[in-house]
Amino acid sequence: MLKEDVAAKVLQHARTLGADFAEIYVERVRKRNLRLLNGELKEASSGLDLGAGVRLFFGTQVVYAYTNDLEATTLLEVTETLARLKGEKGQVDAEGAGGLDFRKMRPQGVHRPQRPLETQDKRQRIDRLLEADAAARIDTAIRSVETRWAESTQEVWIANSEGLWVNDERVRSRYFVLAIAQDGNEVQSGVSAPGKSVGLELFDLYPPSKAGREAAEQALTLLKAQPAPSGPMPVVIGNRFGGVIFHEALGHLLETTSVARKTSVLADKLGEVIASPVVTYIDDGTLPHGWGSSEYDDEGHPTERTVLIERGVLKSYMVDRWGERVTGYRRTGSARRQDYTFAPTSRMRNTFIAPGDEPPEALIRQVDYGLYAKAMGGGQVKPGSGEYNFSVREGYLIKNGRIEAPVRNAMLVGKGPETIRRVVAVANDWENAPGMCGSLSGMVPVEVGQPHVLVEEIVVGGQG
Amino acid sequence: MTFEAAQTYLQEKAKSLGVEIEILAERHKTLAFKARQHQIEEATISLQGGLGVRVVVAGRVGYAYTEALDEAALEWVLDEAIENARLTRDDSGSLPQGRPLGSHDLVGEGLSAPVEEKRALALALEDGIRKDPRVDRVGGASYSEAEVEHRLVSSAGARGDYRSGTASLGVSAVMRDGESLKQGIEVVFAQDAFALDPASTSQSFLEKTGRLLGAKPLPTGTYRAYLEPRALAQLLSFFWSMWSAKAVLEGKSPLKNKLGQRIASPLLTLLDDPAHPQGLDNAPFDDEGVPAKKTTLIEAGVLRSFLHNSETARKLGHENTANGRRSYKSVVGVMPFNLVVAPGQGVAIEEGVVVTELMGVHAGANPITGDFAVQGLGLLVKDGEPTPVENFVLAGNFLDLLQNISAIGDGFWWTKMGFGIGVPLVAVEEVHFAGA
Repeated sequence: MLKEDVAAKVLQHARTLGADFAEIYVERVRKRNLRLLNGELKEASSGLDLGAGVRLFFGTQVVYAYTNDLEATTLLEVTETLARLKGEKGQVDAEGAGGLDFRKMRPQGVHRPQRPLETQDKRQRIDRLLEADAAARIDTAIRSVETRWAESTQEVWIANSEGLWVNDERVRSRYFVLAIAQDGNEVQSGVSAPGKSVGLELFDLYPPSKAGREAAEQALTLLKAQPAPSGPMPVVIGNRFGGVIFHEALGHLLETTSVARKTSVLADKLGEVIASPVVTYIDDGTLPHGWGSSEYDDEGHPTERTVLIERGVLKSYMVDRWGERVTGYRRTGSARRQDYTFAPTSRMRNTFIAPGDEPPEALIRQVDYGLYAKAMGGGQVKPGSGEYNFSVREGYLIKNGRIEAPVRNAMLVGKGPETIRRVVAVANDWENAPGMCGSLSGMVPVEVGQPHVLVEEIVVGGQG
Repeated sequence: MTFEAAQTYLQEKAKSLGVEIEILAERHKTLAFKARQHQIEEATISLQGGLGVRVVVAGRVGYAYTEALDEAALEWVLDEAIENARLTRDDSGSLPQGRPLGSHDLVGEGLSAPVEEKRALALALEDGIRKDPRVDRVGGASYSEAEVEHRLVSSAGARGDYRSGTASLGVSAVMRDGESLKQGIEVVFAQDAFALDPASTSQSFLEKTGRLLGAKPLPTGTYRAYLEPRALAQLLSFFWSMWSAKAVLEGKSPLKNKLGQRIASPLLTLLDDPAHPQGLDNAPFDDEGVPAKKTTLIEAGVLRSFLHNSETARKLGHENTANGRRSYKSVVGVMPFNLVVAPGQGVAIEEGVVVTELMGVHAGANPITGDFAVQGLGLLVKDGEPTPVENFVLAGNFLDLLQNISAIGDGFWWTKMGFGIGVPLVAVEEVHFAGA
């Protein structure tokens, strides 16, 4: 899609206009989506995205343009306009006018699907979704089941004025099961939504019959649930998607997007103790077939496993090229973007708390009265103050070290840097789960995760 | 190929295959400047768009879109749409009867200010907030504009186009007072770039964020809530789907079977207005080519209508409210244009909690039941004296909240959250707050 001579022309032109760094990103994505309601296909849609983004750096000032028109003349015109937008006159850089010899980097295929998407037609996906639908019908209270399939094949070409050339392909598949249960006026829902950087083997890794049943069980549990208690109390946060809480309340505060602008309360704290000594926090872009994995980031930098916090001590931030320029921290392969309509920024990939040695039951036993947040919903955080909130999808009361009645509508609120200091125990059952993370550079796929974690106190907001 | 040529190509190809087709073309043009530390840190321009195709094959509906306009891409998009249609079972689909819709320009000269002036707006906004010494760190101050050209043609006779757009100023910064930190965001939208005023936006940011400094925990309890317009808009931007006839049909709305019933305080009237003088998402027709019109959803507390597209209207036997909306990438759904709460007699703030902003509404609210538990920021008012409060959660059901409205403000505040929202301040009795 991106021709070498066109890329070289655009990048060299940008340098002669005074940019000290230029990058071109071209992307082509094929997407297919299916939505079934109660076993009937409601909507089937397909899409082809194609576009280019041109980014120029003038020191730490960045100008960005994107378009669907990949003609050389358009890209050169856009580059001119961008340089003009910067405002002041650029310095013509004689060095920049020299030739560009691209160093071609090729992915090794670490995340390549074992069962490519083309090997089966759409009917096969529908059949597998129907299995999930059938498996969710475990009780007459299950009134409705919605299933969805989403697949994408993204091919990117990234070239920059330093001679970098990367061509990477990322294949992702995910399906959703939403079960709705009703008892009288009471309506509750349960979800299951596995996703990986894989092809059709997703259905083998996460059998639809299991996902359907899980969603239904959650809906039925919530139907019986009492309103959640209110007030500060100890909370055991579940593994898998339980990791969303520290993704939001800690991870976002470690991205140079906020660290470089000092809008994060955790800026300038490398080497300091910022968390409980039982916490080691890792962002790993290399996990094979991880939902948030890729071999190269969206600046063409190889991804890596970044230890952010080691036994409570802040070891690294997540750094993109702009962040490196402003802060001087080395890049960590963390530059990501939703698509070509966004300039990349530092983002999480697959972020999790490393496992400890205790079994999860041992954490529950330590609590006299508290909340077990088994499955988490989404949440939000303000990096400037660390304030966060998270909904608990599936929660239970803990009394005298035992899990008791299910509770619903609980919301956890607090400040991330305080909560991470209050982690008193980490279990040994680490697992990740997929999600979509929204920030400055759009929505990107990420994994969040952790083992079961005990926090000595969080404010729980409920109706009870 | 140009958009027009691509539309013609697809129409002719579909005709030769005996397939009904509707093609929505959108071209987005944007410009944004972000100022930080008295210089433009980021500038972005774009020209981007695509074609969204809906086909009907023997009553079965399929979708596909493309951003590439070469012949191979157009063949692919039509093949995929037809294959997608053949997979569905429901064969009652059809395209709405079309008509010539004309050519409309809703932007005019609204965004035609020189680029230098737009840059200056972003810089002036940052300067404005930096005048307050409590501003500790600035995330950025931005000017943004977006213009969209919509062009719809269908084999059922629809043909029309319009140009719409808005401009906005936005600022994000952290304020400090001693140990207390508050991060605030202020975004102001306007139909015209000329209507944006950095001085008033920075003033508003400083007031709204500054008043929260030194916040204390809120004691758990039941209070009267004064929902400021932004908080109410945040709830509506999520719970509007209760009025979607698509949600009603799929059993996802608690308002099913409640037409004609009192579902809210008699003080409340809720409308969707696609031609509001201050509307941020006005349009002459919806994305199925049906002329847009005003729809009363709640009239003095009584549920009057749902929001419909052609399919939901046909299936429920109701009148189509012309809310069939989509982007070229999505399937035809239902969405408001400008959701408006009619202003009331005014609110006197005496005793209760002023909720200035909500956080995490998408996570803590369930549109199927109306239940919510969301974090709020605000002020506790006792004897008319406000003190800032934090770390609390409002919990309840959105329909109970609408029933308990006891006063509606006489002002009007606009924002854009997927569509336009225009709302006043409202007072709500007996809201449960969980805090310390």
